[in-house]
Amino acid sequence: MKNSVPQVQGRSPARKWLDNNLGLIYILPWIIGFCVFKAYPFGLSLFYSFTDMNFFNGISQYGIMNYIEIFNTAKITKALTVTAQYCLITVPLKLAFALFIAYILNFNIKFVNAFRTAYYVPSILGGSVAIAVLWKALFRDEGMVNTLLSYIGVQGPSWLSDPDYALFIICFLRIWQFGSAMVLFLAALKGVPADVYEAATIDGAGKWKQFFSITVPMITPVIFYNLVTQICQAFQEFNGPYIITNGGPRNSTTLVSLLVYRYAFQQNEMGMASAIAWVMFIICAALTIIAFTSQKKWVYYSDER
Amino acid sequence: MKKLLALLLALVMCCALLVGCGGNNNAAANDTAGDAATDDSAAGDAESVTYALSETPVSLSISWWGGDSRHSAYQDAIAAFVEATPSVEEVTVDFGAWSGWEDKMSTYFASGTAADVCQVNWNWLTSYSSQGQTFVDLNGLSEFLDLTQFDENALAQCTVAGALQCIPAAMTGRIFYWNSETFEKVGVAIPTTYEELIAAGQAFAEFEDGSYYPVALGEYDRMILMVYYLESIYGKDWVVDGALNYSEEEIIEGLEFIQSLEDNHVTPTVQQILGDGAESLDKNPKWMDGRYAGIFEWDSSASKFHGSLNNPDAFVVGDELGEGGFTKVSLGLAITKTCEHPAEAALLIDYLLNGDGAAIMGSQLGIPLSKSGLEAAGEAVDALTAEANSKVLATCTNALDPKFEDSSLKASDGVYYDVMSGLSYGDYSIEEAAQILIEGIEGVL
Repeated sequence: MKNSVPQVQGRSPARKWLDNNLGLIYILPWIIGFCVFKAYPFGLSLFYSFTDMNFFNGISQYGIMNYIEIFNTAKITKALTVTAQYCLITVPLKLAFALFIAYILNFNIKFVNAFRTAYYVPSILGGSVAIAVLWKALFRDEGMVNTLLSYIGVQGPSWLSDPDYALFIICFLRIWQFGSAMVLFLAALKGVPADVYEAATIDGAGKWKQFFSITVPMITPVIFYNLVTQICQAFQEFNGPYIITNGGPRNSTTLVSLLVYRYAFQQNEMGMASAIAWVMFIICAALTIIAFTSQKKWVYYSDER
Repeated sequence: MKKLLALLLALVMCCALLVGCGGNNNAAANDTAGDAATDDSAAGDAESVTYALSETPVSLSISWWGGDSRHSAYQDAIAAFVEATPSVEEVTVDFGAWSGWEDKMSTYFASGTAADVCQVNWNWLTSYSSQGQTFVDLNGLSEFLDLTQFDENALAQCTVAGALQCIPAAMTGRIFYWNSETFEKVGVAIPTTYEELIAAGQAFAEFEDGSYYPVALGEYDRMILMVYYLESIYGKDWVVDGALNYSEEEIIEGLEFIQSLEDNHVTPTVQQILGDGAESLDKNPKWMDGRYAGIFEWDSSASKFHGSLNNPDAFVVGDELGEGGFTKVSLGLAITKTCEHPAEAALLIDYLLNGDGAAIMGSQLGIPLSKSGLEAAGEAVDALTAEANSKVLATCTNALDPKFEDSSLKASDGVYYDVMSGLSYGDYSIEEAAQILIEGIEGVL
């Protein structure tokens, strides 16, 4: 009886397995790359953060001593504070500036494509070493900025060497690179239906009212996306402070990423560097979670019911 | 599928941690082995390992830092070496500027991927090979590398953990270089004592709008000058037998001297120098055009600072302002333990420092310590560097502990920078600065 039902002549087990896992095989190169270059260092750095790992002396101690030291070392807490200031200044200003320019470039003005390209260029160049060097030349005591100020009778400050100004110069470089956020805003603005504006105009809403009551709510998904990515990128900023001020003067531009580099590659203290990196990661993750949690209250998705 | 993927990733994470533990054990094991080995095993290299040339031509690699003229000299000398040495068919090179070089090399040393022959800073021997784990003991290669050309005292300075870990290229110390044109313009004689230096500052303050200064001193320059000043007064070495040899009162005296240089318009503040936005003093427009009329630099840097002046004829090698100060091995050439052909690598070092290569290198690594190298270099030795070096060696007789240059002290966020910039910015009183300096140094020693 068992054998009375004829077996379906089908795929061999190997073929069946292959068919079922074909997708996995296709993405295997990515998975391998991810494991080797992301997951492995990620896990290893967590392990190292609980040791006193030194490149040349190995490990002799295990525990949470690095995490305790982080919050008891003035230069690390200062770097955390400076990084927080950097994020608080750059993220809102960059988003506001990108949205403002995108809004202007959304109008049908002459040479609009040339303007769009021109405003996007800093994003391509902005993070480069060459631009950081140029920034340093512009803002030195006898640089172009102070020279221009002197023409109008203003004695410019020491932008790079005064602790009260140096961080703003580093922030300014980042804000200047608003192009990528601007392009996303521009795409979002294009997606706002024209008939909504027409209806609002008929109802007597002015431009400002339309902007804050129609435009901003309609593009909140892109604002949200830009906010999250900009927070993460701001925490990872390295080139600007490293090249322009090398963290100075008096550590006023020492961001956490620069401190991680110094501990890891100048003092060879990989354990401490890993612990600082993990603290940075936890802060960054917490902010991202807060942003995701809060989106229900302020982000509008048109496909939601 | 999702479960499979999650399982796979979790497995990888666990493996990462396990491998991490394994890596740690290895490191710890190496560490332990190093502890057990100490001097005996390091010195044992010379006794137990016999080196020989390969039967077939080999390839070598070499790395160095420096400026354009050094790069060019090295490349010419290496090309000549390959031509003259049948057992070596190729030498690959890796070179760059000093900025960031040590960070890169320390990573190479830790990962065992450094070049066969490396130009090393003197303190790297204690920083990266304190137990002889990174560099080959060159005593065992004397068949290929003529050690008799070097002063025994200099070789002793490069002997760490009982192993001769590098061959010193030159001895160096700090000296003042002046722009005579500016001093003439201001109407003051070039200083020969610390008192004259202070007096010159007052004259410069009254000249034009006060934007001229007798000397520009960065944070690390100030630290070295303070040590030179104190050694000229007290005559004793800065560190002796691993302990700081100066009391808090003496260090306060040194810091007061440094502060007096700013107060008397001898040197601009740290803020002013940072505000110039120059990568280094030789690239600072105010040094180039004479507004900074002096610098306190290594004797081996004479040609670099001379070449950067708008009017090079005004460049003058000054005198030491006091009878004291230290000299140290400027740099050396070492063979890494990962080198597969140490005998050929030793031939390369011998060629560069003792042989015909020294004639091409000239004084690019400083005034050659090697007797035959100095003879071969002949007219290729830069006259200004030679003058500076002879003045330094004649006056600066104190010894330097290699820990003086430890990265936690000397790096841009190290103790020296913190103390000197903190003092200049007014963040620290002299007493606070002295205390921070002492604690920092004792922490490293």
